[in-house]
Amino acid sequence: MLDYAKYLLSPVLLATSAYGLWLGGPHAWLGFGLLIGILLFDAFLEPDHSLRDARFPWLYDLIVSVQLVMGFAMILFYAWLVGQGHFDSTSSKIGGFVTMMFTQFVIVAPALHEMFHRENLFHRWLGRIGMVMIFDPWREITHVVTHHIHTVTPDDPDYARRGENLYRHLAKTFAGQIAESYHLERRMWTKRERAWFDPRNAWVWRVGILVAFVGLLWLIGGGYGALAGVGVCLLGPRILLEIFNYTQHYGLVTATPGRFEPRHTWNHLTPFVRLLALEITNHAGHHEDSYKPFYELVPDRTGPKQPQFLICLLLAFVPPLWFLMIREKLHHWDRHYATPQEREIAEAENIRAGWSDLNERPTLAQARFAVAP
Amino acid sequence: MPVDTIAVPGETRAPTRADARGCRIAVAGERDFQAGRDELLLLSALNQGVNYPHSCRVGTCGRCKTRLVSGKISPLVDFALSPLTNRDLKDGYILACQAKVRSDLEIEVGLIDHRVTLPLSVVGEISGWRVLPGGVIDLRIALDEPLAFQAGQYAALAVSGSFVRRSFSFYDAPPGPEGAREVGFLVKHLPGGRFSGWLAARDRCGVRIWVEGPFGQMGLDDTPRHALCVAGGTGIAPILSIAEDRLQRFPTEGVTVVFGVRAQADLFALDRLERLSRLAPGRIRVVPILSHEPAGSGWSGARGLVTAALDPGLGIDWGRASAFVCGALPMVEAVEARLTALGLPRGRIHADKFEPSGL
Repeated sequence: MLDYAKYLLSPVLLATSAYGLWLGGPHAWLGFGLLIGILLFDAFLEPDHSLRDARFPWLYDLIVSVQLVMGFAMILFYAWLVGQGHFDSTSSKIGGFVTMMFTQFVIVAPALHEMFHRENLFHRWLGRIGMVMIFDPWREITHVVTHHIHTVTPDDPDYARRGENLYRHLAKTFAGQIAESYHLERRMWTKRERAWFDPRNAWVWRVGILVAFVGLLWLIGGGYGALAGVGVCLLGPRILLEIFNYTQHYGLVTATPGRFEPRHTWNHLTPFVRLLALEITNHAGHHEDSYKPFYELVPDRTGPKQPQFLICLLLAFVPPLWFLMIREKLHHWDRHYATPQEREIAEAENIRAGWSDLNERPTLAQARFAVAP
Repeated sequence: MPVDTIAVPGETRAPTRADARGCRIAVAGERDFQAGRDELLLLSALNQGVNYPHSCRVGTCGRCKTRLVSGKISPLVDFALSPLTNRDLKDGYILACQAKVRSDLEIEVGLIDHRVTLPLSVVGEISGWRVLPGGVIDLRIALDEPLAFQAGQYAALAVSGSFVRRSFSFYDAPPGPEGAREVGFLVKHLPGGRFSGWLAARDRCGVRIWVEGPFGQMGLDDTPRHALCVAGGTGIAPILSIAEDRLQRFPTEGVTVVFGVRAQADLFALDRLERLSRLAPGRIRVVPILSHEPAGSGWSGARGLVTAALDPGLGIDWGRASAFVCGALPMVEAVEARLTALGLPRGRIHADKFEPSGL
């Protein structure tokens, strides 16, 4: 039963963070401190390739459902505390905000992602409603339809090509997601012969859910509470999620667009990252079958791996350091994982990024690059 | 989860809970099979060795398009996002790869009775580049390794180092199991097209290019019958392959090719059609039809859309013929409707619909 108990870590951390917020003052930092402490400790641990006991899947589902509901309750609780003027010092204000940002990103975002991928209607709807906590209830469509189909191609707005720094990626990914989301939604309402504002269109009722969420924050926490709640959602899970996407497929290429292979993603398999992120960093398994629940994912022992996830997240903020790390990883990927066709695409991507020095045969690669479309 | 098994025909699996609540899948005019409730229709079929037409298995290619006659399924992703058209949706079409079985089903789909040739990725070099009338490039690729394909199949082409990947049909007759060392495609230059624009810009001989294939099942019809082949524009490519293949395989059967382009100046590949006429004298008839030929141009042949040529005047026994249709989506749909109205059984209409791949 230890496997099941392991996943209680996230609800326990949420409860502890909430308790810290309730105590206020310096305790507002408790949740953030605990999370960072665990993740830093995790950075020194070896990858965990173990499989989960999946005899009682309902138990996992119960834990994650509770975790998601707790996350929802916590953002309302936070808005209420802000509305009450609970955080009286600048330090506690920042501490509460940062704690919320990180708990919502590390613990709540994986739960809602897990659920909106599920086929069970209750779970899927829980995940769909939960998307208000990333302040983007439209995210599901571009994620499920675009990201999972066009993985590691420039057609996927979540994909960062070689040479792209985090800040450029953020600007590009938000614009790309909005355009793609509009394109897909319009396709749906056009095919169904509905007006764009028809309430049966998914995007319309998703607006309704988001408005209701903000309204609830307002009711509970007033103007300041709602502002703080929305700020947490946008600066926390929403942006940090894109940083996660930035790292997860960075620079990899495919010669088989639409057909995912395990080499088309990086993995982060350290024990606590696996638990807290609900195995989403066990990324190859998730992409191979995105309907497979987290407890059935099989870690890719020999697949491409990046440094521990927190380290990657921090490196991403400093582009020169990120490039220093990732160039070496990509150099290795090109030689050990890429198919011959993918190696040629990688060579062209290296030239495009100004990284010709990574190419084994730079002159030949340059000649091919010069004539490619 | 219903999708955690791998399709291994003939593999023995322990019965699962889903299997215990099995649903009967009745394929009109074909074999029946069982699928577990909540299983994906395509995966379930493949698990049992049912040769269900498919390609991408992720809802983008549309190869597993199936008409749901009765029963209940749940789509994983809204079918409005799939290649299914609005009319398909209204006519009850679904994609088997995205359909979860919820009850006994009655479906219409043409199961494959051929051994499927597994696709390969082979590198080659552009060995032939010729501009034809109508902004069409005759592209030939010399391959490093032989590639086998069947009539009417297609391949995905990607220039070395490029993410850009486009699909085109082989126009040569199938080479047999030993495969072909050189393959040919007809590429229409589309304004703004990243691949076709690049290809049309100048002679690309010598450029390294990857060919992945074969894909598709349009030409798979082993019954000796008269073949009515209808092509719009570069849709003539698979038709050339199918026509030559059938002329060789069925020495007593004829082929009628209805070939639609805009104007006389756009007529291309006539030399290849003439070659087929010499190959099988008296057994192939070619009907070029022009949709935008100026009046009084001296063109004495047929005018109008390809559907205008499809009438009893062709002298085809509609109840006995097989049809192969290839071209742009609206054209193929119009031809399918016309042929059905003329009495050609829908199951004998084999179609390949060209859809834009994006720029």
